[in-house]
Amino acid sequence: MSETDVMQKVVTILTPYAKNPEALAQVALSTHILEDLKVNSARLVDVVLAFEDEFGIEIADDDVDAVNTVGDAVRLISAKLS
Amino acid sequence: MGETPTSAAPVALVTGGGTGIGAACCRALAAEGFCVAVHFRGSEAPARALVDSLGDAFAVRADLADPADVDALVAALKDRCGRVDVLVNNAGYNRNAPTPTMTLGDYDAVAVLARGTWYLTKLVLRRFMLRQGSGRIVNITSVVGHTGNAGQAPYTMAKAGLDALTKSLAQELAGRSILVNSVAPGFIDTDMTAELSPAARQAILARVPLGRMGTAEEVAEVVAFLATRASYMNGTVVHVNGGMYGG
Repeated sequence: MSETDVMQKVVTILTPYAKNPEALAQVALSTHILEDLKVNSARLVDVVLAFEDEFGIEIADDDVDAVNTVGDAVRLISAKLS
Repeated sequence: MGETPTSAAPVALVTGGGTGIGAACCRALAAEGFCVAVHFRGSEAPARALVDSLGDAFAVRADLADPADVDALVAALKDRCGRVDVLVNNAGYNRNAPTPTMTLGDYDAVAVLARGTWYLTKLVLRRFMLRQGSGRIVNITSVVGHTGNAGQAPYTMAKAGLDALTKSLAQELAGRSILVNSVAPGFIDTDMTAELSPAARQAILARVPLGRMGTAEEVAEVVAFLATRASYMNGTVVHVNGGMYGG
């Protein structure tokens, strides 16, 4: 799966949790999930579970800690898929 | 492990399920229709005998103090059942000694199990209950976590902490239809209390208005209720102690 495909799926997963539609409309790899998209931190676990289910991977807690931007998520998922 | 369950029954995991209150919980949950995962660490023979008597059940060994063992336990449950609907955190460990002579090793031996309980709960939530969108967690604590008990400082700390875990998780998870409660037994007739001297037993009974120790089944009945029909109880500590302490 290409990083573009991963990015598309990541954004689809983030969409229902994003509280800032303007940031979502201009989403990029550098977009911060909490600060820009305004995803509630309490819902991050749902995002991580959705990543795991969508891509058939398991994401360790330490890896979750390192994910701040959409790009971090895309790179982490792509690395696990490769 | 025992034979593979053939039913699609909901799954209950009971830690320390081979003996005492844990075994009674396994029997009560089996009677409620659960496939029961009977966790044990050292009590393999009673755990396997219990499994044989329950039918839709299997035994799983893990040292909850070892995160790698907990990881393996959860992986085994995922492979075998794919779900956990009820988690009963019953496994406990105690060392009695006056605080001035208790060693740090004694303290750590008790405290590390509390950490393991938290870690197992976290994994069960992450791997099963959050995805299922439902679940029941029942933590078996103790009256001494509320009253204190001479010679059991680390144990009382661990049990009080587990009640605090109950309350925190109840708030954290309520919106996800996962209910978390504690059952705090008083003095219950188990192998642990069978070791008491007649004088010590008499002194205990003098503190219990009902005038007798409870049975493991009387505790398990409450656990089964919280694990099934108790739909509006969350973050509660239910005291099962014959009236010696009301909370």
